[in-house]
Amino acid sequence: MKNADATPLIECRNIRKHFGEHAALDDVSITVDRGDKVVIIGPSGSGKSTLLRSMNFLETIDSGEILFEGKPAGYRTVNGKLVLDNQKNLCALRTQIGMVFQQFNLFAHMTVLGNVMEGPVTVLGQQKAEARDLALEMLEKVGMADKAERYPATLSGGQKQRVAIARALAMRPKLMLFDEPTSALDPELVGEVFEAIKKLALEGMTMIIVTHNMGFAREVADSVAFMEDGRILLKDPPAEFFGKDCEQPRIKSFIDRIM
Amino acid sequence: MILALLCVLCAGLLHGPFQAHAADVDELMRQGRDAMAEGRLEDAEAAYLAVPAPGAGDQEDEGEYASARMQVARLRLAREDYDGAVQAARDVLAHFSGHAEAKNLIASIERDRMPTWERFLKDCQRFLPSLLSGAAMTLLLVFCTIIISPVGGLIIALGRLSSFRVLRMPCWFIIWLFRGTPLLLQLFFIYYGLPSLGITLKPLTAALIGLGVNYSAYLAEIIRAGIESIPAGQMEAAKALGMTYGQAMRRVIIPQTYKRLIPPVANEFTALIKDTALVSTIAMVELMRAADQMFNTYFNVTAIILAGVIYLFFTTVFTFIFERIEERVGVYEKR
Ligand SMILES: Nc1ncnc2c1ncn2[C@@H]1O[C@H](COP(=O)(O)OP(=O)(O)OP(=O)(O)O)[C@@H](O)[C@H]1O
Ligand SMILES: [Mg+2]
Repeated sequence: MKNADATPLIECRNIRKHFGEHAALDDVSITVDRGDKVVIIGPSGSGKSTLLRSMNFLETIDSGEILFEGKPAGYRTVNGKLVLDNQKNLCALRTQIGMVFQQFNLFAHMTVLGNVMEGPVTVLGQQKAEARDLALEMLEKVGMADKAERYPATLSGGQKQRVAIARALAMRPKLMLFDEPTSALDPELVGEVFEAIKKLALEGMTMIIVTHNMGFAREVADSVAFMEDGRILLKDPPAEFFGKDCEQPRIKSFIDRIM
Repeated sequence: MILALLCVLCAGLLHGPFQAHAADVDELMRQGRDAMAEGRLEDAEAAYLAVPAPGAGDQEDEGEYASARMQVARLRLAREDYDGAVQAARDVLAHFSGHAEAKNLIASIERDRMPTWERFLKDCQRFLPSLLSGAAMTLLLVFCTIIISPVGGLIIALGRLSSFRVLRMPCWFIIWLFRGTPLLLQLFFIYYGLPSLGITLKPLTAALIGLGVNYSAYLAEIIRAGIESIPAGQMEAAKALGMTYGQAMRRVIIPQTYKRLIPPVANEFTALIKDTALVSTIAMVELMRAADQMFNTYFNVTAIILAGVIYLFFTTVFTFIFERIEERVGVYEKR
C-alpha cells in the first residue's frame, strides 16, 4: 500500500527535548510515509504530545532533525545550536500540517463556519465565497454542515471535535496530527469522532494519532508505536504489535491495562 | 401740608427742572427728616418725593436727589410696596446709572420676591452658557483620550508580552512610571516642567499627552490581563493553522478579549470623565474650571451643583452606552 514516492512525508531523526532536567523526548526517531496511519500509545507523561507538537514546531527541539518531504524543516543552525526558522517558513510548513487537539481549541468568537473558513481566508488568502464553499464541503464530510451558523459554546464535545477536524482539513494539509482527539469526550461521543477520522483515513490522508483506543488502532493503523519515558520502544504493524504477544512485558501490561 | 407740597411741585413743574433752587431742596429734606423723626412716614415720603430731579449742570443737588429717592424707596420697602420701592430706585438709576445702593436694592427685592425654583432657573440661565462651553472642552478631552488610550494601551500591552527584552523593558517602564505617580503631577511636569527642557506645549496639547499616556498605561495592564486570560490553546490552534503571531493576535486572541475588557475599560473611562477636572490646573478651561470661575465671581453654589449634574449626566450616559456594548459583544458565550 506504499505510495510510489519513496521519500517519507515526515521524518524525525534523533530528536531530543528537555524541560529543565527532564527529558520529554530522548533520542526519538520516527518515519512516516505518505498515506501512512500511525497510532502512538504510551503512558501519561511519556512524551506523546511533545512529539506531535515538535512535528508542528509548536515545541522547539534541543537537537536532532526534522525532515518534511525529504527536506530539513523548521530549524537553522546558528553557532552549532538549533534555532527555530523564521516565522514565514514555519507558517508555510504548518499550513501543510493539520493538528487536532484534545481540548478542540475552536475559536470561541467565531461560528462553526467562521472557524473552518478562518485558515483559508486569513492564511491562504482565499476569497470569502470560495472559502465558504470549501468550509461547507469539509463540514459536510464530518457531518456538521447543518450546524454551520452555531457558535462552539452551543455544541457537544463530539460536535466540537468534528468541527476542529473540518477546520484542519480546510487547509488541505498533507499530514494530520491528532493528539488524543477523544480523551475529553463522554464515551458515547467517541464513536462519531472516530468515524470522521476513519473516513479521512480511507481517503488516504497521512496521519499520526495519539490515542488509547485499541480498536481504532487495530482497524485503521498501518503501524502502532509505543512510547515510554521519551522513547519509542516499539513500532510495528498492528497485527504484530498486538499479535506476537509482546515480548516486552511493560508494553503488554500497559495494553492490558487500557483495554 | 399736602397743599404746600403740591404748590412746590407745581412751582417745580412751572419753572422746569432747571429752575429748582437749592433752598427748596434743603427745605424739603429737612421736612422729610422732621416727619421721619415724628413718625409721620407718609409725610416724610411725600417730602422726599418732592425733591426735584437735578438738571444738567446742576451739580450741587445731585447727592440730595439720590438720597431722597433712596429714602422713598426704603420707606416704600418698609410698607411692603415693592413695586414702588423698585420704581424709586429706578429713578435714582435714571440719573446715576452707577448707583450701587440702588442696584443692590432692586436686585435684592427681585431675588426676594422670586420663588426658589425661579431663582434657581435664573442662576442656571446665568451659569449654563459658560458651564456648557466648559463641558464641551471636557467632552473633547474625554473623546480624544478614548481614542488615543486604547491604541497606546494595546501597543504597550503587546510590548509587555513580547519575547524581546528591548520591547518589554520600555513598556514595563512606561506602565511603572505613569501608574506609579499622580496624574496631577504628570500634568504639572508636562506643562510646567517640560518648558525648562526646551519643550513648550499648549495647554490642550499638554493635557492630551498627560491624559493619553496615563490612560494608555492603565489600559495596557487591563489589555495585557485580558490577553493572558485567553486560553493558550487558542494561540496554538491559530499557529497550527499557519497563522503568524500578528494574525493570531488580530483574528483570534484580541477579539476574544473584548467582552472581558469592557467592564474594566468602562470603569477607566468613567474615571477619565472625572479626571479631566485635573487639567483645570494647567490653564485649561473645562467644566470644573468654568464652575470654579462662576463660583468665584458670584459666590453662588448653584454653579458647582450644575457642574456636578453635568458630570453625572456624562457618567450616566457612558455607563449606559457601555452596558449596551457589553450586551452586544460576546453573544458567542451564551448557550
Ligand atoms: N511546557 C512544559 N513544561 C514543563 N514540562 C513539560 C511541559 N510539557 C510537557 N512537559 C513534561 O514533559 C513530559 C512529556 O509530556 P507530554 O505532554 O508529551 O506527555 P504525554 O505522553 O502527552 O502525556 P499525556 O498522556 O498525559 O498527555 C511530561 O513529564 C510533562 O510533565
Ligand atoms: Mg498528551
